[in-house]
Amino acid sequence: MMNVKICLIGKGIVGSSLLQLLNEKKQLFKQKFNLKITVNSIFESDGALIKDKGIDLKEILDVSDDFRNLPYWRRDVKAIDLISELDIDICIETTPTNPKTGEPGLSHIIEALNNHIDVISSNKGPFYLEYKKIKNLAEQNNCFVKYEATVASCVPSLSIKEDLIGNEILSIKAILNGTSNFILSRMTAEGVDFPLALKEAQELGYAESDPTLDIDGYDAAGKLVILANELLGWSKNIKDVKVEGISKITPHAIELVKPDGFVIKPLAIAENNELSVEPRLIDKNSPLNISGNLNVVELETKYAGPIILMGRGAGGFEAASAIINDLIDITRKKGYSP
Amino acid sequence: MINLEVKIPDTPGSLIELIRPISKYGGNIYGILHFHDRKLKNMIPVNISFELSEEIQEVSLQNIKKELKEKNIQIENISYGIEKKLITIILTGHVFDTDVMDTIKRLASKNINVLELQAKFTKLEEVSNVKLRIEFPEEMDKKELTNELRKICEEKKLFLITS
Repeated sequence: MMNVKICLIGKGIVGSSLLQLLNEKKQLFKQKFNLKITVNSIFESDGALIKDKGIDLKEILDVSDDFRNLPYWRRDVKAIDLISELDIDICIETTPTNPKTGEPGLSHIIEALNNHIDVISSNKGPFYLEYKKIKNLAEQNNCFVKYEATVASCVPSLSIKEDLIGNEILSIKAILNGTSNFILSRMTAEGVDFPLALKEAQELGYAESDPTLDIDGYDAAGKLVILANELLGWSKNIKDVKVEGISKITPHAIELVKPDGFVIKPLAIAENNELSVEPRLIDKNSPLNISGNLNVVELETKYAGPIILMGRGAGGFEAASAIINDLIDITRKKGYSP
Repeated sequence: MINLEVKIPDTPGSLIELIRPISKYGGNIYGILHFHDRKLKNMIPVNISFELSEEIQEVSLQNIKKELKEKNIQIENISYGIEKKLITIILTGHVFDTDVMDTIKRLASKNINVLELQAKFTKLEEVSNVKLRIEFPEEMDKKELTNELRKICEEKKLFLITS
């Protein structure tokens, strides 16, 4: 049985959900994939839990937020300083995205790859800012870098590329921001105005207290860059995306197009070598007309027309399950598991 | 698009006689106009617009003409219209204060014609929402159309939503 040693950076919602899934799936890893997953380090911004022989995940889950009181908690150590020293096979990066710099995730990813450590990330910033750099570095160091959770979370919008190897993806239309989609869905269904729909989204926990990145389209733009680079083979970054938010949409605009069978949706589009995120009128019977906080990706393919993927685009366990998929994929490609 | 100008007798069933051969040879009918007010010697002028599949257009049109002659329907003129594409857009902002007629005329100068306009207002000083149904030439791609619309919208600070 192959023992795969893991370092987790970021113990927020995604990181904690991942630890829970790794603990729950212990037997599955062993029986089905011939794997023992050992988490030997968990980094937070103010320190780390480090245990060379492996951290007892049950213990971590039991103590919940009190993990800093465990005897192997080391205060003030930084992942960036220790990645090269630890015995790690795969580094899992789940820190929050800094949309301008991609830090600290970007440095963690680069440091791991420079030390020949495979990387899995749910942090999209580094990929929409420095996609080419990360991919080149991974190739130079003969490493795998996987990031399924960065786009539409558990919806397999990136890994579908391998399942469509005999086809050709020509263009992409998608709804990649659940918050914007929720707001427009409420405005359409209830006729409420934008500020009220936003307030409702915040109360339900679908929108951040500062919702700018969501409603101005930048969150979707970042995901679109990753999607287009991965599926269409482009080399774009977020500056290449024409972005228009949804805050200027009024209930009257929605009402005016209803009789014509249109709805307004926050679409992310990659076609003709151009990227855009903007509200668009779509046919109410289009598969892109999804409501609530769901995500949808429509791939226009050369030999099979449109292929649609849809599902929850956010959430701790959703992202954690995508990370597990990436983990299994890497171990398979390395020949560790069947 | 083919525009056929004919004269048919003002008798029941003659319009069906006109449509039947067009339909038989695969014509997709876009519109029919009767001019009852121009009836002369019991014959009514009718204009019918239809589309035929490009590959068989010539053969189909010959067959249609032949059958219409056999039915004593007089063909006055045949013309080939310019293909047009349609799109619906929404403009949000001070659409009327920024001279909506100027917007329409500027689009028309690029062969982009506004066919329909519908508006919703709240208060006079607030933004209005205007739906435009637009016709643009077949040879113009959507990107070119959008660029023309964007130029005007940026200048007049209007928010544009296209399909």
